[in-house]
Amino acid sequence: MTIGAFQTVARDSLFTRLDFRTKLLMIVVVTGIAFIWESPLLGGGLAFIVLLTCLFAGVSFAYIWRVVAMTAPFYLIMILTQALFAGPLIAARTGQDRLTMLLTFPEHWWLIGGSGFSREGLLYAANVVFKTLTMTLIIPLGIFTTDINKMVVSMVRLKIPYRFVFIFSSTLRFFPLLFQEAHFILEAQRLRGLALEEIRGIKRLNVYARIAIPLILNTMVKSQMLEVVLQSKAFPGDANRTYLHESRLGKADYILIGALSLFFVTAIISYFVFGLGKFGGPA
Amino acid sequence: MTEIVAKFDSVSYLYPRSSKLALRDVSLEIKKGEFVGLIGPSGAGKTTLCLTFNGIVPQFYGGRFWGKIVIAGMDSLEVSIHDLARRVGMVFEDPETQITATSVEAEVAFALENLGVPREEIEVRIVEVLKILRLEGMEDKHPHELSGGQKQRLAIASALALQPELLVLDEPTSQLDTLGQQEIFAALHALNQKLGITVVIASHASEALADYADRLILLADGEVIASGRPNELYSQVPLLETCGVRPPQVSQIFHLIASRVGQPAAFPVTLNAGIAHFRDICEHYRLACPKFAALDLKKTGTPLFSVQELCYRYPDGTEALRGVSLDIHRGEYVLVAGHNGAGKSTLVKHFLSLSHPTSGKVLVDGVSTDRLSVSALARRIGYVAQNPDNQIFNATVWEEVAFSLRVLGYSDADVQCRVKDSLATLDLLEQRDLHPLSLPRSDRVRVVVAAALALQPEAIVFDEPTTAQDYRGAKVILELSRTLHALGKTVVVITHQLYLMPSYAERMIVLGGGKIVLDAPLRQAFHALETLRTASLVPPQAVLLSRVLDPEALLVTPDEVAACFFPND
Repeated sequence: MTIGAFQTVARDSLFTRLDFRTKLLMIVVVTGIAFIWESPLLGGGLAFIVLLTCLFAGVSFAYIWRVVAMTAPFYLIMILTQALFAGPLIAARTGQDRLTMLLTFPEHWWLIGGSGFSREGLLYAANVVFKTLTMTLIIPLGIFTTDINKMVVSMVRLKIPYRFVFIFSSTLRFFPLLFQEAHFILEAQRLRGLALEEIRGIKRLNVYARIAIPLILNTMVKSQMLEVVLQSKAFPGDANRTYLHESRLGKADYILIGALSLFFVTAIISYFVFGLGKFGGPA
Repeated sequence: MTEIVAKFDSVSYLYPRSSKLALRDVSLEIKKGEFVGLIGPSGAGKTTLCLTFNGIVPQFYGGRFWGKIVIAGMDSLEVSIHDLARRVGMVFEDPETQITATSVEAEVAFALENLGVPREEIEVRIVEVLKILRLEGMEDKHPHELSGGQKQRLAIASALALQPELLVLDEPTSQLDTLGQQEIFAALHALNQKLGITVVIASHASEALADYADRLILLADGEVIASGRPNELYSQVPLLETCGVRPPQVSQIFHLIASRVGQPAAFPVTLNAGIAHFRDICEHYRLACPKFAALDLKKTGTPLFSVQELCYRYPDGTEALRGVSLDIHRGEYVLVAGHNGAGKSTLVKHFLSLSHPTSGKVLVDGVSTDRLSVSALARRIGYVAQNPDNQIFNATVWEEVAFSLRVLGYSDADVQCRVKDSLATLDLLEQRDLHPLSLPRSDRVRVVVAAALALQPEAIVFDEPTTAQDYRGAKVILELSRTLHALGKTVVVITHQLYLMPSYAERMIVLGGGKIVLDAPLRQAFHALETLRTASLVPPQAVLLSRVLDPEALLVTPDEVAACFFPND
C-alpha cells in the first residue's frame, strides 16, 4: 500500500469539489437508508449506485476489490446462516405460511437436518450483504475524495472540538505509515527464515501477533516524538486558532444537500406509509 | 554590546523516573546572530539541551529542574511553551515524524494557525519561507513525495515561518546523504547570514560544523566540557576522542602530523584552509608517501551474487535500477554507496528475493532467485536493516536468536548449541535474558546480527547500519562487520558515510540514477573524484588532502596521509 492511499483520490471530480459537510450528510443519509431498507432489489440498487459513484469519483477498483475480498468471508457466513436459519423470522415478518425451499437437507443430518435453503432466506441474506456493502463503500467515497486539510476545517465548522478533529486527521495520515511499518516487520521475519507463504491457520495468526510487539513499541516512540513536535508548534493553539484552508458551501453543495434531504424524507415516508423497501414489500 | 538571545545559568535537569542528571550545571550564553554547534556523543545531553530552549524541558516532560534559562528576555519556566514557540523554532532529527500535515503549504501553516496568525498573513509567510528554502512550486505536494533533504528544508521552513529569533535543530542531517546534508547547512548559513537568525544545531557532521559554525559547545554526560571557535575546539583531538566525538579529518591529519614532527598545536580545521596550510608546511618537512598499488577485484569461481542486466521499476513507474550487472565473490567485503534514492537498497533486496526483477536476472551461487524463496535465501544471507527495531520481535535476546532456528525445525540441542555460539561470537551471552529493546542501539544491531549468524549464513548485508549513530556506535558496528569478514563471511555494507569505510571495505560499488557508475577497489574508487562528484558523493577529506601530496599514492586515511611526513634531517 502506498503512503497517502487512505487520503485522496487522484481524479478531480464533482466529489473532490464538494464541501466535506455535504459529504458527511451524504454518508449519514445513505447509511441510514441502507440500514432501513430490507428489500434486496432496492438495497442492491443503492449498493450498485454507490459502487459506480466510487469508480466515477476515482476510488480505485483495486481498493474496492480488496474491500470486497476482505469482507467476502463475512458475506458467505451471512448467506449461509440467513438461508438456513432465518426462515421463522422471515415468515413472521412477511406473514407467509411457508417458505419457498430451494434445497432441503435429509432429516437425519445433525443440526441442519430437515432445514434447507429457502428463496426468502437467500433474498434476506442478499439484503444484508448489500446493506453492508453500501455502508462500507460510502465512507471511502466521502473520505478519499476530500483533502484532509479541508476536512479539518469543515469538521471545525461543525463545532467539533479541534483536538478531536486533529486526532481524526492524524489517524488518516499515520495509518498508511503503520501499515508500512507492519510490512517491514513481516519482511524482517521472512528474512529470518519464516516461510510465511507456507503457514496457515492459528500459526499464521501467531506470526501476526508477534508483529504487534515491535509495532506498538515503535508507535509509542513515534507518538511521543509527535507530541514533542506538536508542543514545539504551539499545538493545540488557542481559541482564536486560524485556518489556512477555507470551508465554503457552493451551489453544488446546496443542490446535493437539498436532493439528499428530499431523498431521505421520501424514502422514510415511502417505507413507513407504503412499505416501499420493506422485505417482501412492493419492491 | 551584542544582545544575548539565550542565557543558561547553572542549569541541571533530571528526567522523571531517572537517577542520572541529563544536564549538569550548564551555564552558557548564545548571542544574537551566532551559529552555534552542539557536539558530543550520544547521551551527552544535546537533545535535552535543545528542548530546553522552547521550554519543552521541563514544562512538558516534568522531572526536576535547577537553575534559570532566559530566552529572548523571558524566563523559560514562567512563559508557556505556546508563547516560546513564537520565538524559538525547532527542527528535529526524523524528517518523517516531525511533519504532521498532508501538503507542503499546510505544514508551514500549521504552527501559524495554532498561534492565530490571520489567514492572509499565513499565505504571505508561506510564499516567503518556501522561496528562502527553495521549495517554491511544491506547495500542494504531499510531504511524502519530497526527498529527505527537501523534507528537512520543509521542517526548517515551518519553523522559520514563525519568524523566530532563534532556530534550534537537533541532528537534522543524521539521516541524509552528503548532498542532503550540504543542502541543509547551506540553507542554515544563508538564514544566519542574510536574515541574522541565531542558529543552534546539534550535529555529528564535524566537517560541516567546521565550515559553518561560529562557535562549538562540547557536551559530555550532560556537562559543558569546552566551548570555543571550531579551530580552537577541533584542534583538541585527544579531548574530542576521549569524549567520543569525531573531529574533522583535516584536524585528525594535522594532529597526527604534529605528533610525528612537532607541528604547532593550533591548526586549520576546514578543508580549504587545510589544503592551503598543507602547501605551506610541505616545504618544511621531508615527504615520503607510502605507495599503494592499484588492485584488481577478487575472483573465486562461481560468484556468490551475480546480477545480470537487472532492471527494476516500481509500481508507480519509477525506474530504480537500469541495467545493473555485477558479480560479488565469496569472502569479499563490498561497500555499496550512492546518494539517497540511488537504488542501493533496491539492489540488495534482489539478493534476498524481496524485490523481483522487472527484467534481467539475479543469481545466488549460480541459482536464479526466481527459484528461491525469501526464507530459503535467508538461511544463506543475513540481513541487517537500517532500523534494528523492526527486526526485533521476541521477549529475550536468547529467544530472538533462537527464533529462526525454531522456525526452520532445528532440534532443541542444535538450537541451544547454535544460539550459544552465536551469542558468544557477538559477546551477548550476559544479555541473553534481557529484552532486546532494552539494550542500547548498537547492541540491538548486534542482536539482529547474532540472529542472522545463528543460521550460519555465507553472507551478511548491512543496510545503512551507521545511520543515526554517533562515531563510537558506528565504529562498534563496523568492527562487528570486520569480525564477520574475518570469519570468512561475504560482507556487503550500504552507506553514504564514506569516511568510515577505508579500514573495512575492499571494494566499492557506486550507484547513481539506478546504474553502476563505479565498481573498483576502494582505494581507486575513493580517488575517482570526478565520478564520485557525478554520483553526488564526497570523498573523505583525507583523500582530498592526500592529493596535494601525491595523487598517485592512493592514500585514504588520516594515518596514511600523516605517515608521509618526516622531520628534516
